[in-house]
Amino acid sequence: MILRGAMAIWRRDMQVLRRSIISELVAVVAYPLTIYLAFGIGMQSYIGLVDGAPYSLFIAPGLITMTAVSAAYNESVWSLWFHRRVQFTIESYRVTPVSVSEIVIAKIFTGFMHGLIKGCVVGIVIFAITPFRFPVEHLFQYLLFLIPGSALFSCAGIIGGTVMDKPETIGKVEAVLVMPLIFMSGLFFPLSSYPPSLLLWVRALPTTALFEGARRALVAGDLLPLPALQVLISSVVAFAAAVFIFRYKMSE
Amino acid sequence: MHTASIVIRSLTKSYGTLTALDSFDLEVEQGSIFGLLGPNGAGKTTLIRILTTLMRQSSGDALIEGLDIQRSGLEIRSMIGVVSQENSLDRYLTARENLELHARLHGMEKQLYKRRIDELLELMGLAGRQKDFPDTFSGGMQRRLVIARALVHQPRVLFLDEPTTGLDPQSRRAVWEHVRSLAGSMTIFLTTHYLEEAEQLCDRIAIMDHGRLIALGSIQELKDRLSGATVYEIEFADQGGAQYAALLASMPCVLDIKQVGHKVTVTLECWECLSEIVTALNGAPVRRISLQERTLEDVFISLTGKKVRE
Repeated sequence: MILRGAMAIWRRDMQVLRRSIISELVAVVAYPLTIYLAFGIGMQSYIGLVDGAPYSLFIAPGLITMTAVSAAYNESVWSLWFHRRVQFTIESYRVTPVSVSEIVIAKIFTGFMHGLIKGCVVGIVIFAITPFRFPVEHLFQYLLFLIPGSALFSCAGIIGGTVMDKPETIGKVEAVLVMPLIFMSGLFFPLSSYPPSLLLWVRALPTTALFEGARRALVAGDLLPLPALQVLISSVVAFAAAVFIFRYKMSE
Repeated sequence: MHTASIVIRSLTKSYGTLTALDSFDLEVEQGSIFGLLGPNGAGKTTLIRILTTLMRQSSGDALIEGLDIQRSGLEIRSMIGVVSQENSLDRYLTARENLELHARLHGMEKQLYKRRIDELLELMGLAGRQKDFPDTFSGGMQRRLVIARALVHQPRVLFLDEPTTGLDPQSRRAVWEHVRSLAGSMTIFLTTHYLEEAEQLCDRIAIMDHGRLIALGSIQELKDRLSGATVYEIEFADQGGAQYAALLASMPCVLDIKQVGHKVTVTLECWECLSEIVTALNGAPVRRISLQERTLEDVFISLTGKKVRE
């Protein structure tokens, strides 16, 4: 059966997630909630309206998206590194009739599921404790960004977990590459704040397309075709790169 | 007529200028237990990684049960079981779940693998701990679980890469028992650092060094290849060891001599020289003269020039 091995690995990952879901969610909710309290509530009165909305509402969709894609990235990068370098389970998968692509697909799907579950939980918490509201029908447009976006970050995590052998390197890459990309994409401020010469470059980033497109989809129900296509193409390219790099690394 | 389960022809693996495997040739008979010995860095693990399709060779061919390792990776992996040097158990799954995951990776039906896992847990003495996580197991239990995992899908060829390294003698013997119980039902290819392990388990042995095969045969055949020199241990009743050691050392048929306390170990050109030794020791307070059996370690050292751990 096609993807039988991928399903088996994914089932294993979900089994492990089920066992630790409470502690995982507590940790995941704490970070965006702290940011929301600090910036959304603490700074709100100093900032005023952003793009016609109170600051606390401006940052809410971005925080949900950030939680989802960060969770997807973190799960993929750490899981792959741990299974490859510490537990050697990747090697035990590779001596079974499972292809390398199936292992990558399973891990990407696991990362994506982590992102989706944790993003939803943070969304519910923000929905429950803040005045941020959105029409339910906007969820479909939002998911059109969130699904390929989480897949993109999951693929990036797979690449990171494949090429990085030391855990401290993973932390450094997250600090100097992943988080800046997320923060630069207009999570805490409107893109119009950028000088025009820089804006062109910032808009070229798939993370900007993801965060901006997801915000517009959730708040206004708009489906911006160009950013949606940009995120989709980026995730397809990242998937191909993840499979190629993992395959190459494993053959070394 | 015996059929070969593993056929290796001119297998070579190079990493840049380093040649880990150098035109390696070997045939392993179906249903046998085959041991591969060599010092660290000899190329044993490289060979096992190539045969289990984890790594590609630079040149040469290898067949597992008639299938080419380069062209039929998936088919080969469905018929082999692998116990790698590292335990590679999933510490977030229980012992039983580890086996279930492996069965699902092999596409086994639930009804089939449930029964098989019950049998294996029983066989390995782990039935009572099946709901526990491997982290809570002793080294020997973890190793037995890894072997059970490699057997879930009933492989035709089992690769064991140093299966008892790091285990205490009791656990090591327990693993040997389990491996021995599989003899005949599948081909077993094992690499080991322990010569005793090879002597206990293997029908045939290959010794390799610097990526090359340097000896192949049964343990007795390998021992017979040693030169005709024989070694005797002579034990004296009192402090005469030093005095008689000097006398024996001056004899032309004595190739080597070592003295520790009352005991003198002499290496003779051939066993016929023993009568000269006995004559020379006439009247000496000899308590015992015993022939020292040649061991696999002697064979190993004579072929590689090193002890097996080096």
